[in-house]
Amino acid sequence: MRIGLPRALLYHYYYPLWKSLFEQLGVEIVISDITSKQLVQEGVKVTVPEICLPIKIFNGHIINLLSKEVDYIFIPRFIGVESGKWFCPKFIGLPELADYTIDGVKSKILTVDIQGKKESTCEWTNYRPLCEALQVTPKELKKALKTAERVWQHFRDCCKQGFTIEEAEKMCSEDMRGSERTAHHTHDITLGVLGYVYNVYDPFVSMDIIKKLHGMNVRVITFEMLDEKRIHEKFKRKSKNLYWTFTDKIYGAAVELMENHQIDGLIHITAFGCGPDSIVGKMMELDSEKFKKPFMTIRVDEHTGESHLLTRIEAFVDMIKRQKISERRRELA
Amino acid sequence: MDIYIGIDVGSVSTNVVAMDQNDHIIFKEYTRTNGQPLESVKKGLKLLEEDLKRIFYTVKGVGTTGSGRQLAGILVGADIVKNEITAHATATVNFHPTVNTILEIGGQDSKIIIIQDKMVVDFAMNTVCAAGTGSFLDHQSERLGVPIQDFGGLALTAKKDVRIAGRCTVFAESDMIAKQQYGFSKAEIIKGLCDALVRNYINNLGRGKALKAPYVFQGGVAANKGIKAAFERELGCEIIIPKYYNVMGAIGAAILAKEYIEVSGEETKFRGFGAAELAFKPRSFECEDCANCCEVIKVELNGKTVAIWGDKCGKWANSVTG
Ligand code: SF4
Ligand code: SF4
Repeated sequence: MRIGLPRALLYHYYYPLWKSLFEQLGVEIVISDITSKQLVQEGVKVTVPEICLPIKIFNGHIINLLSKEVDYIFIPRFIGVESGKWFCPKFIGLPELADYTIDGVKSKILTVDIQGKKESTCEWTNYRPLCEALQVTPKELKKALKTAERVWQHFRDCCKQGFTIEEAEKMCSEDMRGSERTAHHTHDITLGVLGYVYNVYDPFVSMDIIKKLHGMNVRVITFEMLDEKRIHEKFKRKSKNLYWTFTDKIYGAAVELMENHQIDGLIHITAFGCGPDSIVGKMMELDSEKFKKPFMTIRVDEHTGESHLLTRIEAFVDMIKRQKISERRRELA
Repeated sequence: MDIYIGIDVGSVSTNVVAMDQNDHIIFKEYTRTNGQPLESVKKGLKLLEEDLKRIFYTVKGVGTTGSGRQLAGILVGADIVKNEITAHATATVNFHPTVNTILEIGGQDSKIIIIQDKMVVDFAMNTVCAAGTGSFLDHQSERLGVPIQDFGGLALTAKKDVRIAGRCTVFAESDMIAKQQYGFSKAEIIKGLCDALVRNYINNLGRGKALKAPYVFQGGVAANKGIKAAFERELGCEIIIPKYYNVMGAIGAAILAKEYIEVSGEETKFRGFGAAELAFKPRSFECEDCANCCEVIKVELNGKTVAIWGDKCGKWANSVTG
């Protein structure tokens, strides 16, 4: 059996988990192509115009998978992974959204409701519908989930050592131990790059911002590299709690990084049409004034030009580097 | 005399300046780009070469900036290639060290730069919306049949205020026609347009920023007295227009080149004025190797590829050796 995974939305966060789970259950997984201009256009064509860009891109990936002869396309419904917080409504209605938007997908949708208290999503009841679809016993499913959870934890541990998601994924699949490598090369400055995984790690949306920054000798910290427990502590002290799981994580990371003197500035990457970001973006902007941290928002839509983006990133990095140099000079004087 | 050359290649204008070791500007040229960045750089360099015949000189360094900075940098052999924000701020701080806010309006884009103690601390750029740029004024001057040079002066003679909705060029245009029919004079309409542009600019770019005097207003539109007056009304204080307001980016590039050469102690990579004669051939093609369909730009010199950019995957850029 072949199951398609759209390379979009929370794929970037849960891929190691799903890969391990499905492979143990004897399924061949097929991943959609890396986001390209054409793929985005396919998605934009079929999706209602008002919705946010990541959902349009998600639909593009579904269309891409339909051409790959898969038996099912895995579209989980993310409702909650911790108490008191939920996912953005678009995640909660995702299977229906795909069904009503894309012709011919209905019979292929394989969905589960993710609603529990574990960030790993590995409560077995979440994945119970797989038993019937994949003809496996609950026992087999439970066993596979246990292993998958371990794999995913290992991946998360790699992230927390300061590796990017791409690096961490590679480390997991090559079964390298994190301690064998170090995450950081030399750097002039350190920037926090805040945004949902499907924005920061999608090469189309972020135009590979992390690689660009690395090329400018900048160390990059993202929210998934931070220690959740410490962020949780921060949550208690934050001026406001947000109801959306990942939005809340990002805001927690923002507060954490704003207070950290090793962080020279913050960049918020947001996609056009995002509701939660319009709130959290403003909150970060206000906080950045309070903490006197350089802050820049990059809002991407399907027409954003790469050279404009590069100019802004370059200018931001230059500004911080030059400030640092002059501070050092002043200290010496 | 040691000189440093700065080149700013924008979509509307291409500017070339030469500066001596004491940061005095000894040459400046503002030309229209007309969609041909290479040609306009060559033209600027030719004029500079002619002009320099009157002195003995050595070119010590060259810097480029603007949206065509990479291409120009390859053509001339630049020592530094810098973004517009850094270049503009560097020039302004050099002439007006106490500046706190730089207002810059060019033909196709506009920016605001916030400075503290000579350092950039915040900035914003607008390249999407024409309603905050010089092209908005160009367009309306055509409509009203008033040459753009006379625009600013005429605005100052207005006796009454008229508010024109300036959120976007389309609205501004229909509103302007309506106000004309109400019997407002051309001068009053023009003043209204200047106010609309400034309001737009401040709302778009100044939002959430701490705008503080001294203000320096630069870019091609700074020549327009009507806009200057509108800024002064809106901000409630005097606005400084630098002497070289329309070539500040190029001056910044020259200063940055000088800084770089002084710190690094390197020899300049300047190809010499003969570069203007070199047969550079830029061409662009759409790569069909994957679904990204990148618009790749490739520059050739004497049949040899010297630079490529625009490819998302980097496979073309990486194929260029030394
Ligand atoms: S959080 Fe924002 S970007 Fe993500 S799905 Fe919801 S609206 Fe779209
Ligand atoms: S340059 Fe690279 S990314 Fe762009 S279309 Fe060609 S192969 Fe694809």
